[in-house]
Amino acid sequence: MVEKKFKCPDCGKVASYSGMHGELKTIYCPYCGSKGRARLPELKHGDDLAIEVSDLRKEYGDLVAVNNISFSVKKGEIFAFLGPNGAGKTTTVEMIESIRQPTAGTIKLIGKNIKTHFNEVKKDIGVLPQEFLSFERLTVKETLVYFSKLYKKRADIDEIIEAMDLKSCEKMLYRNLSGGLKQRVGVAIALVNDPDIVFLDEPTTGLDPKARRDVWKVIANLRKKGKTVFLTTHYMEEAEYLADHIAIIHKGKIIAEGTLDELINRYGKGSLLRIKQCKTEGAVESLKEKGFTATYESNGDIAVKIDYKDIVLDVLSNLRHECIEYESIDVRRSNLEEIFLHLTGSKLSEEET
Amino acid sequence: MRVQVIAADFIVSIKTWLRSKGTLFWTLAFPIMLILIFGAIFSGMGDVEYTLHVQDLDDSEMSRGFIEGLNSTGAIKIEIVEPEQNVSSYIDEKNIKRLIVIPKGYEETINKSFIDQNAIVNLSFYLDPSEQSSNQVVMSIVSSVIQSFNMKLSNGRNIVGIDEISTITEDFRFIDFFLPGMIGFTIMQTCVYGSIERNTKFRKDGILRKLLTTPITRTEWILSKMLFMLFLSFISTFLIILVGVLIYGVTVNINALMITTIIATSFLFSGMGMLIGRFVKEEETADTAGGAITFPMMFLAGTFFQLEMMPPFLQTFARVLPLYYVNESLRNAMIYMNQSEAILNTIAVLAFACVFFIAGVLLTKWKED
Repeated sequence: MVEKKFKCPDCGKVASYSGMHGELKTIYCPYCGSKGRARLPELKHGDDLAIEVSDLRKEYGDLVAVNNISFSVKKGEIFAFLGPNGAGKTTTVEMIESIRQPTAGTIKLIGKNIKTHFNEVKKDIGVLPQEFLSFERLTVKETLVYFSKLYKKRADIDEIIEAMDLKSCEKMLYRNLSGGLKQRVGVAIALVNDPDIVFLDEPTTGLDPKARRDVWKVIANLRKKGKTVFLTTHYMEEAEYLADHIAIIHKGKIIAEGTLDELINRYGKGSLLRIKQCKTEGAVESLKEKGFTATYESNGDIAVKIDYKDIVLDVLSNLRHECIEYESIDVRRSNLEEIFLHLTGSKLSEEET
Repeated sequence: MRVQVIAADFIVSIKTWLRSKGTLFWTLAFPIMLILIFGAIFSGMGDVEYTLHVQDLDDSEMSRGFIEGLNSTGAIKIEIVEPEQNVSSYIDEKNIKRLIVIPKGYEETINKSFIDQNAIVNLSFYLDPSEQSSNQVVMSIVSSVIQSFNMKLSNGRNIVGIDEISTITEDFRFIDFFLPGMIGFTIMQTCVYGSIERNTKFRKDGILRKLLTTPITRTEWILSKMLFMLFLSFISTFLIILVGVLIYGVTVNINALMITTIIATSFLFSGMGMLIGRFVKEEETADTAGGAITFPMMFLAGTFFQLEMMPPFLQTFARVLPLYYVNESLRNAMIYMNQSEAILNTIAVLAFACVFFIAGVLLTKWKED
């Protein structure tokens, strides 16, 4: 959406109209009611981008932590920066947040180069640093009020408390909160200035599954409010659940980037029908004869590639017809773990350990 | 610079402080306990004893009587210097702080004074100017002994005199010495550990990284924290003075020099804490490093006892410690009322404050490497 002001040719007063870039609109003057038509400006290159990173590099002596990476994040999307610990996620996000000095490269936030304009864009960003802990002896509400006073532009604290589902603990001291609540307060702190871009650095690390899902809900709600979210994580399911766009970083380099579907189509095996514990000899050959793409897996199960939506029924009827015995079947889509394995030769969870 | 931001940060510091029982205890109750305990212990032991070297060149009944008079005060420990010793070289060699020479002909002049009204005898008093505060005390004791001597001999006419006479005639006790030291020590502890906490715990918890992404500037933040440190320093000072006055009857003079010293001391030790926090990044290690610096300084800088009780090399070392000048400045400004000495020591404290605070501010950084 874009908003444009206009001066009414009849009454001379200034009003505004909004719509999509390049859209031709019928507009009315709210003061005199005059009617006319106008086109909203075309989208220029970069106008729809919240974050632009070009050739970003960070060296610590001989170690290259971030190796000339480039990517961009569109306004209003949740961008997940996925990778194992030590891949360079936090180093990258902290360079974008101007906490660390890059060795080389350019970073733009809302079109402004942070090297020269970071003080200007501070008001437009909200940050939850990695392993952030706030002031132990302030209540949740006092904490939010304190951080909001640092800004000129402020969101309504009560609204944030409501939206983050923190009402029941707003008078509790921060030190007495559970890990999940602390992370939610951390996200709430990142919103006190009603930012356009929210950076969340591993917001669910160390949380139990229930607390993690609570934080996910909060993050998903940010998208509904039109915020751009830059999320770093080493949890595949977090990226799969939340992200509109995913970049996988490994050893300081981005090894894959795109939407979840794009990544699966490009690097995954698509969807597979698995026939478990098949005891009939020549089952794969029989399926292949019928035109299915079937293979034995390492554990002896049979995997059949799902190319069209009715293939499951066709395979099942073929199994019955050929009297092929098996224990169970399941249908599974490729996930990020498989993609990571395909790209790096190791599992993401193994890299963690 | 935005006052509202500074005020918001200052209020957070106060709230956090008030809600931490441990911090409250160490800031308020600990110095009060120390002054109560030390005050009680040393009040029972009597007054402070000062060493005075005496060279009796007359070796007469009257000169020995005068030495006996000095000895009987109980506040001065007399060390006799042999008559054949050269006083100047003896002072240099032995690092003597105070020495009185009773001249040859002392008794003869006194006897003559009964006939000749103009006959007087002056004792030579050698003083180390760096020991101004304790010199003042000894001077006043010697002066009172001479006065009583003159009173006995001639009903008050000045037959015996000394070249340097202090106007101070008060009788100082240990608590007078200890109270300003306690104030200096407390401010040092509060500011060093306060700065260490901000620079290590806040860094570990990500608060410094978070603040870096908000519009608060380093200047606004440091200013608000300094206001808080000053607030704590003045509260501690007030409580220590209150206990000193109400329980031990200490006479305290509150003046501009004392207040200047307290402000400069807060900046000095906050800067020192920043430097420790800058180079020792782990919280626990930084606390230990803080202790390793402040603990010996507390003992060596004349907080609990006079420098002259220590070996000469430690006395020299003490004079490079900032806390020594804080203690001396506060003592001279608050207790001894020796303005010239207080000004000199306050200037030294201000100089230390400038060096440490500016270095602390310049070298402390929020950004990560």
